[in-house]
This record gives sequence, structure tokens and C-alpha cells, in this order.
Amino acid sequence: MQEATFLILTALAAGSQHGYGIIADVAQISDGRVRLRAGTLYSALDRLHLDGLIRVDREEIVEGRLRRYYRLTPEGAAQLAAEATRFQSNAAAALARLGLAGGMAR
Amino acid sequence: MTDAADLDDLERGYRRWLRWYPRSFRREHEAEILGVLLAGASAGQRRPAPMECLDLLRGALWMRLRPRVPRADRAALAAVKLMYVGAVVELAAAITILLTIDDVRSNVVQRDPDLTRGEWHAVVAGQLVPTAVAAGIAVGFWLWMGWAIGRGHRWARIAFALFCGLNVIGLLNGLVHGSAVYVRPDLAIGIVLCLVELAAVAVIFHVKLAGSPSGASRTAPGR
Repeated sequence: MQEATFLILTALAAGSQHGYGIIADVAQISDGRVRLRAGTLYSALDRLHLDGLIRVDREEIVEGRLRRYYRLTPEGAAQLAAEATRFQSNAAAALARLGLAGGMAR
Repeated sequence: MTDAADLDDLERGYRRWLRWYPRSFRREHEAEILGVLLAGASAGQRRPAPMECLDLLRGALWMRLRPRVPRADRAALAAVKLMYVGAVVELAAAITILLTIDDVRSNVVQRDPDLTRGEWHAVVAGQLVPTAVAAGIAVGFWLWMGWAIGRGHRWARIAFALFCGLNVIGLLNGLVHGSAVYVRPDLAIGIVLCLVELAAVAVIFHVKLAGSPSGASRTAPGR
């Protein structure tokens, strides 16, 4: 799973969000390192929807503009959890080998 | 924040770039994506930034070209990948034919020493060049079939099966008539190509081509 995809799913893990909300949340989660643009976001949302990992939750009109909210499906939540566990396991192994396990620098 | 006139200019600019997306995507999502683009615009911005344009263009091309097959549908994805493999083999066949023209000539001359220069040129012009050109066109056909099968177009299965049938018949015809135009590399690549085609036919008739992507609805982010 690509990092952008992982971050989008993470942004949706706490509840439904609309497009701009996802972009802002992804920037926040990644400490500003990942800044999604609209084209990239909608390509990713399209793929995630096709794979059954997200679905449309609801729509709103705000200041005359359509906002569509997306949320994780149970499959999406399961896949995100599996991916997060994998990252955690890999990170733990890396930190242990560097002697940095538990956040303690050598 | 931008004033109304700036916003109008900016919105027009974004709409122009959104025209690259498939019509179905725009029908469903233009208003939504415009809202996202305008919400992320800088104060006083009057036209889309170059990186935004590039991103929209890339997204639009991706939306038009990529297979609309869920990752879980491995058989359908395998069918699409096989089409791309076929395009590569077809390209290799075209190159092989062009590279082995001299070998073919030796073969032909050996077989029929009385062949005049003009007759030999007729063999090249009448058989080898058209075959190489057809192989080049076939590369495009493979890619087109990969796209069509990735989009779930059922007609692509029939079209591809016909294409495969013609190619196999062509190969068999050449073999039966003992055509001297076949040197070993040509024959080998021809056989490999036929095997890829037969495998592709088996796969595309095995997979269930969805008329619409699973789980897709009118609110899917794109088609």
C-alpha cells in the first residue's frame, strides 16, 4: 500500500470526511510531509472505492458547493489495521536492530 | 481571500483542466472536486498553479487509462497484464522480423537460386514489410484490448479471440506452405506470440468481466 493511500485511510479511520478535510488531515498526520493535491486525492479515492475499502457516507451543500463525505468500509478498516500492524512490526524490528527500541537513543 | 471576480477566473481555469477527465467523472464529481480545489486556493489566486494543472492532467489520464478492476479480482487483472505482455512480445516479433530480413534472404536464395533481385525485393515488399507493419499495428491492438478488458467491455473478448484466430491461422498457413520467409527466430517468436494469445484467450473467457465495477454506484469517485 502506498503511503498516500495509507494516510487517506488513516484520515478516514476516525470518521467520515470530505475531500478537503482529507487533504488537511493527511497533511496534519504526516506533519506536513505529504500534501495531497485534488487530482491525486480523487484518483486514490476512486481506486479505494473500486476496491471496496471506502464508501460515500453523505453529501452536503456548503456555500453552494457540493461536499461528499467518505468513510471506511469494514474491509477498509481491516486492511488499514493489517497494514498498520505490518508497519509497526517492521518499525519495531528496525528500531531493535538499531538499538533504539523503546525510543531510547544509544 | 480571493474576491468574487478572482474566484470566477480561478473556477473557469479549474473547469478547463477538469475537461480532461472522463465525462462520467465530471458529471458526478466536477462540483465536488471544484469545491476542494477552490478551498485549497491561495488568497488572490486567479489561475490554477502549474503543479495543480499537472496533477489534474495526471489524474485525468490515470482515470481514463487504468483498468477498472478491483485488486481482489486477480483473474481479471491477470488478463489485463497478459495483454500488456502480448504487446511486448508483438513488438519483439516486429523487431525480430526486421532484424532477420538478411537471414530470410539467404534462406530464399538457397532454396531458389534462380530468384532475381526484383523477385527477392517483391518477397520483402509483399510479405516481410507488411508482416512487420502489421505486428507494429498489433502492438496498439493488444494495448487497446488491455484497456477494453480492464474496463469490462465484453466485445473485447470476441474481438481479441478473432484477432488470435487470424494470427494462429497465419502462422499455420506459413508452416503448411513451407514458406521460406520463416527463419528460426521468426518462427520462435511467432510460436511464443501464439502461445501468449492462446493463454490470453483462455484467461479472458475464464474471468467474469463485470459490466460495472463491483461496489460502484452513482457516487463512485470516477468511472
